Amino acid sequence: MPYQLENRPPDLRESMYFPEIIRGIGTITKHFLKNLFFSRDANPDILARKRGGFGHSDNVTLQYPEERAPYAPAYRGLHRLVPREDGKPRCVACYMCATICPAQCIYIEAAEYPDDPVEKYPAKFVIDELRCIVCGFCVEACPKDAIRMDSGEHTPPSYERSAQIWDEKRLLRGPPVSYQYDPWLRRGSPSIPPDKLEEMRARAKPFPTVATDEASQTPGFSVRALAAEAKDRAQAARK
Amino acid sequence: MNRFFGMLLVIAATLAGLVLLSAGFYLAAGWLGWGFNALTGWISGSPGVSRAAVYYGASVANVVTLLLVVLMISSSLLTVAERKWSALIQNRIGANRIKVFGSALGGIPFLAADALKMLTKERIETTGRTRVLYELAPMLAFAPVFALFAIIPVGQGIELNQIPGLAGAAAAGAVEQIALQVSRTDTGLLYLFAIASLQVYGTALAGWASNNKLALLGGVRASSQMISYEVSLGLSLVGTMIAYRTLRLEEMVVAQGTPVLGPVPALGLLLQPIGFLIFFASAFAETKRAPFDLPEGESEIVGYFVEYSGMKFGLLFLAEFAEIVVLAGVITAVFLGGWHPILFEGWLRQNLTPFWFAAVGAGAFIAKMIVMMWLQLTIRWLLPRFRFDQIQKLCWKLLLPAALVNVFVTGGALLLDPSGQLLAWIGILTIVVIAVLTAAVGRAPAPAAGHGAAHAAAGH
Ligand code: SF4
Ligand code: SF4
Repeated sequence: MPYQLENRPPDLRESMYFPEIIRGIGTITKHFLKNLFFSRDANPDILARKRGGFGHSDNVTLQYPEERAPYAPAYRGLHRLVPREDGKPRCVACYMCATICPAQCIYIEAAEYPDDPVEKYPAKFVIDELRCIVCGFCVEACPKDAIRMDSGEHTPPSYERSAQIWDEKRLLRGPPVSYQYDPWLRRGSPSIPPDKLEEMRARAKPFPTVATDEASQTPGFSVRALAAEAKDRAQAARK
Repeated sequence: MNRFFGMLLVIAATLAGLVLLSAGFYLAAGWLGWGFNALTGWISGSPGVSRAAVYYGASVANVVTLLLVVLMISSSLLTVAERKWSALIQNRIGANRIKVFGSALGGIPFLAADALKMLTKERIETTGRTRVLYELAPMLAFAPVFALFAIIPVGQGIELNQIPGLAGAAAAGAVEQIALQVSRTDTGLLYLFAIASLQVYGTALAGWASNNKLALLGGVRASSQMISYEVSLGLSLVGTMIAYRTLRLEEMVVAQGTPVLGPVPALGLLLQPIGFLIFFASAFAETKRAPFDLPEGESEIVGYFVEYSGMKFGLLFLAEFAEIVVLAGVITAVFLGGWHPILFEGWLRQNLTPFWFAAVGAGAFIAKMIVMMWLQLTIRWLLPRFRFDQIQKLCWKLLLPAALVNVFVTGGALLLDPSGQLLAWIGILTIVVIAVLTAAVGRAPAPAAGHGAAHAAAGH
């Protein structure tokens, strides 16, 4: 733990070296014995781990591949293309994300569904994860909430660069998120059977209208709670 | 809590193992001595007991058991211990990724990995090197350490017929006693100083023969540092020589068992606390390890071994660890009472056969050695390295005068009171003064860990 040290020349006792060294050995021995005789708290809930005190070593090491620290809810992980309830991508190939992307690493080719006169879909949707700077602009820009970075995982390492070019087949995964005003739910589609459509409509969430709406956020991350906390703090400061 | 009891168990098992190991060493020494005797008797055709044959046989057994088993195994285990112990000091875990049946075994499998790495590394040799000296240097660095360990009295001497299975061998006093000590020379400590001063050749030649400016600088630094510290190293032990009136290490150990103040034994630590500190510091400087690791320095001159690769570097590296073991052995013999178990000594002596008492004693010696090795590694992780002028200042301005004063005080005290009681009182006074100085408040203590809990959060 860093703390301020007084800056002065050593006094006689300190320039004799040995007393201070013996003292240092004492400090080190305390750590040594504590860590030798007590084990690291291996509680899987990492934030609740105990350290120091009697019965626990001072060790806080995370044995990385086996134990992982949970990321903050706002963590920007690997992209995913959000599927609809019927498994097709929500993406309507509007090119918003590709346009805003500062690294220009999103490549989209639009196509039209043969059985649908209105809707487009990405025939190709490729993200070069090596060029991506993980800024999250694409997520912000998407009008359909079709691209998210809520997977909570890193881009996995690979031996070839080509394996870092993720196409729509690999990107399309994870749970679907449906909204009430999703055109597919409102209009229906020849590809969705009517009973399935009813079920999807019943499950759909209201479409987020404000940026702070929880449904628009990554799961578990509550902007409302943060705002309430900030408000409380401001009130406490005013008193 | 499981770990707590497990550790107690490990420590107890280690102590018991050391005693059994020492018993094995005694058996080996006794039986090989007797075997040599039988062999010489058969060759010369004159059956009987030959003093020299028994002594040589026991020495050969001791070379194998003490030098190859104790010294080599403990110095290679120290390379792992350095990682694990430093980790414990710094609240880390340390090397644990090689697992044998799901258990890291305290990092010991890393030994095999290290050896494999060292042996299979590419051999790079500079063309401008002085071939003979270059090849010779690692050996020269390693050999004196081995030779030094030869005079360490690990176990006391027992009669040949006290060893199990040799009861009818030879009458007590007919042959040399069997001791866990390779060579019992009259020169004792002088031999130690002589061989210790040879160590500088290994490093100096390694630096010089490499034909590399940085290596040369490392070698020069090593020689200047080691030659300076030899002065205080020698003077620091003069006090013990005066106090015990002998140069032989095994006699010093015996003398340390006699009571001096009531039941308190005349330990070297008690009679010579200043001598102990000076010897420890100077011998530490001789091992060239931090805080005295000026001969190497990754950020300035890589070191005297910069041109060495593979197992040649491994030898230079291992020599430092072997020096630690030898230093621990010398300190144990001269200052910590050697093979005297100290605790329950009278009870043990009465209730055990001489053979098992000697085995317990040798086990106690190795246990004390382990504590001293631990202390050396601890100091290495405690202190930042000195600057070169500070090293010389420490030697010539602090250690050398203190050692001289110590010699005169010891001599004067023994002149006034040959029984050594006055010296013991002076020693106790010194220890109290050092304890008070140590406990005296120095700089403002670190603030209490107020936000320590925040550091426990993930990622800190
Ligand atoms: S995170 Fe940023 S750089 Fe990466 S694809 Fe999205 S917009 Fe482009
Ligand atoms: S992911 Fe969103 S922004 Fe990008 S093309 Fe599809 S719908 Fe448009």
